[in-house]
Amino acid sequence: MEHAHTAKHLPADLSAPARVSHWRNRALIAVVVFAALAAAVYFVNPNALALDYVLRGWLMGMIVCFSFAVGGLALLMVQHVSGGKWGLLLRRPLEAMSRTLPLVFLMFLPVAIFAKRLYLWARITNPEEALRAGLINGFQAHCIAYKRPYLNVQGFWERGIAYFAIWGLLAYFLNRWSLQRDSDTQHGSWFWQKRFENLSGFGLLVYSLTLTGASIDWVMSLDPTWYSSVYGLLFLVAQGYAALAMVILITMALSQDEPIKSIFRTTEQHDMGKLCFAFVMLNIYIAFSQYLIIWSGNLPEEIRWYMDRITGGWGYVIGLDFAFHWLLPFTLLLSRRIKRNKSQLAAVCCIMLFARFLDSFWLIAPNFADIHHNFHFTADLLQYVFVPAAMVALWVAYVAMQLHTRPVVAVNDPHLPEILEPEHAHA
Amino acid sequence: MPMREGIYGLLAEFATPTELVAAAKAAYANGYRRMDCYTPYPLEEAAEAIGFDEPQERGVARICLLGGLLGGCAMFSLETWVSVWAYPLNVAGRPMFSWPAFVSPAYEWTILFAGLSAAFGMLALNRLPAPYHPVFNAPNFRDGATTDKFFLCLQSDDPKFSTAESRAFLESFRPVSVVEVDH
Repeated sequence: MEHAHTAKHLPADLSAPARVSHWRNRALIAVVVFAALAAAVYFVNPNALALDYVLRGWLMGMIVCFSFAVGGLALLMVQHVSGGKWGLLLRRPLEAMSRTLPLVFLMFLPVAIFAKRLYLWARITNPEEALRAGLINGFQAHCIAYKRPYLNVQGFWERGIAYFAIWGLLAYFLNRWSLQRDSDTQHGSWFWQKRFENLSGFGLLVYSLTLTGASIDWVMSLDPTWYSSVYGLLFLVAQGYAALAMVILITMALSQDEPIKSIFRTTEQHDMGKLCFAFVMLNIYIAFSQYLIIWSGNLPEEIRWYMDRITGGWGYVIGLDFAFHWLLPFTLLLSRRIKRNKSQLAAVCCIMLFARFLDSFWLIAPNFADIHHNFHFTADLLQYVFVPAAMVALWVAYVAMQLHTRPVVAVNDPHLPEILEPEHAHA
Repeated sequence: MPMREGIYGLLAEFATPTELVAAAKAAYANGYRRMDCYTPYPLEEAAEAIGFDEPQERGVARICLLGGLLGGCAMFSLETWVSVWAYPLNVAGRPMFSWPAFVSPAYEWTILFAGLSAAFGMLALNRLPAPYHPVFNAPNFRDGATTDKFFLCLQSDDPKFSTAESRAFLESFRPVSVVEVDH
């Protein structure tokens, strides 16, 4: 090969650097601290809603961790079908993220067990009686009765388990084959590429359908009266947004040491920055489309969902959400220089992750009657910070452990020799 | 325009992009500024090597940003003017200044104007279209610049340029050839 003298070589040891153990330890300390804070809020300030707030915070934490795990799985499939050297760089971190699915399933169990405390449709077993007792209004009673064939606790369990089984199966095969591919000398790398493409293409279709179902079950149905046909897609894009920011942070942190250091190039970092920009744009495009359509329709049964989330102090929350979700990352990512600078791109990714927390809060919290239309500070509200923070810290510890179980660079890939060469060697 | 005579520059031919980038970086470090790289495909590192990433060279980015902002503001103002002053129409009791409805066209115009200003700004700053360029006088350039050869041209209008010294400088990178190009 002509440029062989300038190409780098992969180190012999491809396992994750020692730094990853420090992440795990620090994350576990954060779990203890935030769990203690959450317990303190729960016990110091006893009231009728204390447990409900813990569960609402839990649901938010589960949704955020779910975005990282299943969003990671989706990006893993995307990079298998799209190809590109950025995908090779992110592959092992994405696989590690997809292997956190069992943890997210454990997080899902309390949501399903305490469904009656979280979901109005699960709590109200007899809508007519509840209407007479003044617990719900006529519209809610109608919607709960009408949607009963779908929104019932048994169906919630069955569908939830089915979703996790399907994602688990996809993650299982993608991870298993990836290790087999590493050690395989018999088949060429193209054999494996086709195999991954075939599963991922089909998997992405299945993912988009199951994710739409999950987003309706777990988040949209918190308000049983409301519906939006773009909700699943909006959720999907937000999930890709979160998982991409997370995997870029993980990969850039890993690139401080070998072996990622030798395959990390500014060209691919620039590509990842551009991909972030695309997600930032797509997310606001779909979110605004949903708002514009509902605003134009101006129908009382739809518009109330937005009124609950915009009026009565919630304007500040959505204002911050808009700034962190779109305005800041969009303006920063316009710059070529920021996309090519490691610490600056990492800062943008942190902004994007913070925006996902804020947006999950904005989607979940205003569904509940004690706070919608009326955003006010109570100590209980801190559970939306402490409980998700503890859960995400646990997730980080778990993903750090998963990173340790495999080499962090996938070999037997046709792009590997190219990514080791200087950036100008290929078009 | 009067006929220009004499030499336009020295054109070094390289077989690989690695050698071209190394030579271009060294030329920039040695104080050469008026030079250009010619490659069969976009080679970002070659552009960076000759100082294309310096702040004063980011003209297209600025034109594109300005075009986008102008396009967005123009459309948003047009819609506001039409709906509020020129032809106010009561649509289902909504306010005249219904900004959510104005966002989509303003966004489309932002994209349109940013795209057009990037394309035309690039052409203008490159002084394109150019029906004549001296480097085409070199036969090896005509044969290889769009297929498999990599060229670095040091221009004679650079204050550091001198035919003998610059030729020696280029030859130190072991190019395939160094030829003088006439205007």
